[in-house]
Amino acid sequence: MAETVEEQEIKDVDLVARTQAGDPRAFDDLVRKYSPRLYGLVYHMTSNHEDTNDLLQDVFAKAYRSIKGFRGKSSFYTWLHTIATNMTINFLKKRSRTYNMSLDDVDNGIHQDPDFIEMTSGPDARREVNLKELQQRLNEAMMKLSNEHRAVVTMFDIQGMPHAEIGKVLGVSEGTVRSRLFYAHRQLQNYLQEFLVN
Amino acid sequence: MNTDIHKLLRLKRYETPTSDYFERFLDQFNERQRSELLRQPTWNLLWERLVGVFPEFRVPNLAYAGVAAAAVVLSTFILVTQKDTAPTGPGLALNDPRPTVNVLPPGSGDIRFPVSSRSEFPPHYVLEARPVSYESPYSF
Repeated sequence: MAETVEEQEIKDVDLVARTQAGDPRAFDDLVRKYSPRLYGLVYHMTSNHEDTNDLLQDVFAKAYRSIKGFRGKSSFYTWLHTIATNMTINFLKKRSRTYNMSLDDVDNGIHQDPDFIEMTSGPDARREVNLKELQQRLNEAMMKLSNEHRAVVTMFDIQGMPHAEIGKVLGVSEGTVRSRLFYAHRQLQNYLQEFLVN
Repeated sequence: MNTDIHKLLRLKRYETPTSDYFERFLDQFNERQRSELLRQPTWNLLWERLVGVFPEFRVPNLAYAGVAAAAVVLSTFILVTQKDTAPTGPGLALNDPRPTVNVLPPGSGDIRFPVSSRSEFPPHYVLEARPVSYESPYSF
């Protein structure tokens, strides 16, 4: 049976307390638990696997160094996402404008996704979608957004985080999150017009 | 919310590295942590050991301000002490800055200037005449 959010938070509190007490294996568990999710956050903001790998190492190293100062005012999940988002945005500001996009392979699960099936077949399908091309175009469109807009789109549309949680991570109001999302979606709609069914 | 865009973007969640990547990631992280530990300066390691032995030991918030204040007091004290112990003695009497005035013997001249002999003030001369500026403008 899947754990509830509360159960997960209680588990995190225990793992954090054990790490603060000097048990490195507890932090290993936190790395195991959060690395796939944080990978997604950083990767969808950088569109580069090597950069994501390096950044993720730095994020966990920073979290480990700072964990004694974590007082539990927010959830560990929010705290870790804040570190990852800030470090990624800082990295992107320094990264030169020319960069190489290195895309991850698309998981085979996409072929069973109802939205993907709807897009690629049926009477409304505008064109036959080449998966690699779709991936390329989605990433190009994402990279045209500003870092702040991309962060919001990544957390909301791709990772499914609620507006309030995104606001906490970015240190902005829920209204700002909504307005950034609206603006980003409008921009993305122009770039991805040919892939939209309706 | 633009649902078409939302559905399209959600497909990006399938862009993930292979499952063994995350297993390797933890090993890579631990390896890196260990190598960073070896690169740390000795004083940093000693400090961490100290904090480990005395977990409640923390640098108080006002410690830095206290150290700065102590440094100011100490430097002021040193300056004052140096000023008090500045060289004094008979050697200085040779360089007495007091002006020497040749006083004429009585009856040998018409003009005499009373001279102040106090060393801390320069000599000043008093004329018997009233300064012109003291005259009332309506006196003519």
